[in-house]
Amino acid sequence: MKIYSLKLVFILLIIKVIENYIHMKTWIKVVIGLFVAGLLAAFLGYTFIYNKQHPDYENAEAAFTMTAVDLYQAFKNNAANASAQYNGQVITLAGKLSKIETADSLVIAVFVFNQGDFGDEGIRCTMMKKFNDEANRLQPDGEIIVKGYCTGFNETDVILEKCSLINQ
Amino acid sequence: MQIKSIIIACLLLSAGSVNAQKFITKTGHIRFYSDAPLEKIEAHNHQVNSALDLSTGGFVFKVLLKSFEFEKALMQEHFNENYVESDKYPTATFLGKVTNFKDLDIAKDGVYDVTVEGKLTLHGVTRPVNEKGTIEVKQGKLHGKARFNLVLADYKISIPGAVGNNISKTIEISVDINLDKANM
Repeated sequence: MKIYSLKLVFILLIIKVIENYIHMKTWIKVVIGLFVAGLLAAFLGYTFIYNKQHPDYENAEAAFTMTAVDLYQAFKNNAANASAQYNGQVITLAGKLSKIETADSLVIAVFVFNQGDFGDEGIRCTMMKKFNDEANRLQPDGEIIVKGYCTGFNETDVILEKCSLINQ
Repeated sequence: MQIKSIIIACLLLSAGSVNAQKFITKTGHIRFYSDAPLEKIEAHNHQVNSALDLSTGGFVFKVLLKSFEFEKALMQEHFNENYVESDKYPTATFLGKVTNFKDLDIAKDGVYDVTVEGKLTLHGVTRPVNEKGTIEVKQGKLHGKARFNLVLADYKISIPGAVGNNISKTIEISVDINLDKANM
């Protein structure tokens, strides 16, 4: 009830302000108009530019949908071309999970396709925090579909960040 | 391309020494911190590849710049598009050695002061780096830590005047890596 009456007071106040505004001289109207427009621009700039949200990678539409092995091979065969094509893109990958790795608070789904000086090589998908539990329950050798933001190839692995799991 | 072949050559060389005391991680952590009058900016990368060969002191790390995570999306965008130009230069690489690696005794737990010397490549510019850090030996594992400053202009990263008070000209880099013995 209290909130309701507060709202009413606020609306009445705004009506009063508009009424006053209508009866003002033109130059004052212009000054006030510019001032309000400036405030609005600052507010919008702060909210949508300076403070704009990170992309919603979970619900983003994937630019590419492919098998994990195809993506890995693309980088392995021609890293420069693959980087130009896939870096910075949201990609949906299907493949057989090799293992789940954890490091600090990170949960990483790993597809292994090769062995090298750094041990296993393949695709490493860092999960979004909200998918950590679900990813931790995944069994190796199971087929999974994972979507994430590709940050590139570091000579041993292709890295996907902000990954989510897609239930089949 | 040249850097790539150097890295591959180094990796091959270090792999050549059989039973090498090689320690690796793929989940190293690098943080960078900019403390400017108007704004404090910090970013984290948790997928850092790093390897240390205790038989030669050889030490490498490699980061994907797009993997740096910022609190604000706008900063992340500016970092990638305007400053490090991660489409053109996707990685930063350090290639060098722990000069006093012989002091490290993997059998003896403790914190060792180390000096790291080598070349850092960022934004297409390669420069010599000589920094101090520590390596803690604990139950056969290594925990490396270092903190050093990096002058953006050295790497031809220019900050536009308009945001000159928002971004520091010197960036503090903290490296924190847990290295496990490689199973070769």
